[in-house]
Amino acid sequence: MRVAIAEDSVLLREGLSRLLGEAGFEVVAQCGDADELMLKVRSYALDVAIVDIRLPPTHSDEGLRAALEIRASHPSVGVLVLSQYVELGLAMKLLADSAEGVGYLLKDRISDVKDFVSSVRRVADGGSALDPIIVSTLLSRQRDDDPLTELTPRERDVLVLMAEGSSNQGIADKLVITTRAVEKYVSTIFAKLGLPSTGTESRRVLAVLAFLRA
Amino acid sequence: MASVASASVANAGAERAPPRSTVVEVVAAAGVVAGGISFTLALHSDEVAGQLGEPLVVAMLSVLLTLSYILCGLVAWWRRPASRFGPLMIAAGFTTFLTSLVWAHHAVPSTLGQALDLVPPVLFLHVFLAFPDGRVRERSVRLLLVVAYTTAIGLELVRMYFGEFGSRNLLEHELNPGVTESVRKVQLTLVSVYCLLGIGVLVARRLRGGRPLRRSLALLVDAFGVGLLMLAFLFLSAAYGGPWVAQIRWATFVTLSLAPMVFLIGLLQARLARSALTGLVVELRTDLSPSDLRDALARALRDPSLELAYWLPQFETYADVEGRPLDLVTLGRGRATTLIERKGVRVAALLHDPSLGDEPELLGAATAAAGIALENARLQAELRAGLEELRGSRARVIAAGQKERKRLERDLHDGAQQRLIALSLELNMLEQQLDAEPDAQARLDQARQEIALSLAELRDVAHGIHPAVLSGHGLHVALESMVARAPVPVHLLVDVDDRLEEPLEVAAYYVVSESIANIGKHAHASSATVDVRRTDGHVVVEIVDNGVGGADTEGGTGLRGLADRVEALGGRLRVWTPAGGGTRVKAEIPCA
Repeated sequence: MRVAIAEDSVLLREGLSRLLGEAGFEVVAQCGDADELMLKVRSYALDVAIVDIRLPPTHSDEGLRAALEIRASHPSVGVLVLSQYVELGLAMKLLADSAEGVGYLLKDRISDVKDFVSSVRRVADGGSALDPIIVSTLLSRQRDDDPLTELTPRERDVLVLMAEGSSNQGIADKLVITTRAVEKYVSTIFAKLGLPSTGTESRRVLAVLAFLRA
Repeated sequence: MASVASASVANAGAERAPPRSTVVEVVAAAGVVAGGISFTLALHSDEVAGQLGEPLVVAMLSVLLTLSYILCGLVAWWRRPASRFGPLMIAAGFTTFLTSLVWAHHAVPSTLGQALDLVPPVLFLHVFLAFPDGRVRERSVRLLLVVAYTTAIGLELVRMYFGEFGSRNLLEHELNPGVTESVRKVQLTLVSVYCLLGIGVLVARRLRGGRPLRRSLALLVDAFGVGLLMLAFLFLSAAYGGPWVAQIRWATFVTLSLAPMVFLIGLLQARLARSALTGLVVELRTDLSPSDLRDALARALRDPSLELAYWLPQFETYADVEGRPLDLVTLGRGRATTLIERKGVRVAALLHDPSLGDEPELLGAATAAAGIALENARLQAELRAGLEELRGSRARVIAAGQKERKRLERDLHDGAQQRLIALSLELNMLEQQLDAEPDAQARLDQARQEIALSLAELRDVAHGIHPAVLSGHGLHVALESMVARAPVPVHLLVDVDDRLEEPLEVAAYYVVSESIANIGKHAHASSATVDVRRTDGHVVVEIVDNGVGGADTEGGTGLRGLADRVEALGGRLRVWTPAGGGTRVKAEIPCA
């Protein structure tokens, strides 16, 4: 898998490049700013771009704009946005139209190499990866009439993993249950929340997020 | 009212004492004698009967012309000693008298009168152009007058030298009617041209003034400019032969005789301005607000263009009543400036139509009457300027603090946070290489947990120092996360498309965050609404909850600090919190 990294801290850029290299990725570009990244995205057939949200020159929203641009103009390239803070509003911007091939994680997640690598792989494969903080923010959100109280703790766990972008197999591995059991949980949850069942796992993410955000 | 009386007007023109009464009496007597002589000479002159028509009419008109200039000039001189206009009119009157000596039977006075024959028209031109202060300021107009006087006297002498005007002409040297006729035509044409130029000057002055005239009487004064037109026509008719010469001559005489009276009324209008001053005094007695003082003075002085600039010694500048600095150089262009002092201390500057300078009494009386009100207005201006400066410095202090916070957050982000993440990554990779040593692995894992905790704490600290998401992505995104973590369900409405100025975004952000924190702590509310919208020139941030109300708006630093932030940006923060009726916090901040 071909990956490009845009991160202005040399320390982290090198670290990321090393860990992805060891995990079997081909790191084709290490970029210090968004312009360089866009150049690489245009010249290489990338599977995924990892983008720091704060990039030079102003360190405000250059990274996010680059991510949105890649998603608009190169839909086949997965985009994983990294940041030292995760914000619901930014997640909504990134996942405005679709949750396919997009991720938004706290930078801290890098150090959990196994999870991080599987997130990168998922985004590269067209899936999604949403930071647990976003999901827990959404889940803990105060509601006038909270349908989440209907869910059992196990169903809640499944909902969280689903919202984070995990596949059925991923959920089964995490919770140490069979994929058949996961499928059952998923259909029960959708029924309890009154959501129409959706096809792909990334569409499922969008549906759950939209529900949680409302 | 001693203090009011001590208000003084400076810079109102050099004060000059009026002429002594004996001087006035002597000049008046001389004028009457001169008029009498003119009258007698006109009645008994052969030329008058032969060339000008009915001697009695000519006699009366020449007396009228002489006396109107001399007597009006005397009154003007006496009432307005600072102005040279009075003496100028007196000179015009006596010169008119001297020209009538041409009718004398004796050769000496007749020669004198003849030599001065065309000087009066130029003097009338001079009078018209020098109204109201008797001075001609424009260099070009002065040149015009010098040339006009030279033409009038010089060419007249040439005509006399070549033997025009018959036997009583003592200057005759040789007889050459061809030359005299040509010179006469040239001279009369030139004087007509000068009169027309004079009208042009008057029109140009009015146009350049650009402002409404100070008083309608000025229009009447201007209307007498038509006298110059009549003079021009008269001379051209005399030179080249034209219709109705006799009628126009009489009309011109009458017009020119009435002009001094109109000028005099114009000069002395302060006398008539009493009612306006009384109005000012009445207005001052009611509680005239400082901002209405200018209008009251403008009415009393009949100068709608009038401006008041208050002197603020603390800032060493002039300012309007709101304390905003004024540039007197730009503001005073085309206007006269009168400094107003009280007890020797500068209070204000009055910028007014230059013609007001001819009425120092009116100006002095009005500013003296307004003395205390002016001082009050000056104090208000000073207070407002002080407040404005305070607000400015408060905004600067907050901005400086904000900048420092941003820098700190950035340092944390680029420094400690990145390093900790890299360190944690390093430990994890090390951990993976130590497959066979469970003990070491567990300890490394423990270390990584610690780092994760530190990172989480650091993130909270950094966010507390400055919400980076706000500067990076704007108010809407920042509020979205805040509202999602709110202790009660919050309905968020943001109707602001673009990014706003950073201080404004920061203030609005803290208004919402503090209000939501208060709702969690005190309101016992079950829901709340946050509404951020842009309305004409303002960003309005409104947070409403359905809690118990009765919030403590004084105690605690929260609301006070918010009000500081909002007010430093020229906005205002209001809180409605009736007991049992929920709480509404509303911030309105001006934005471009």
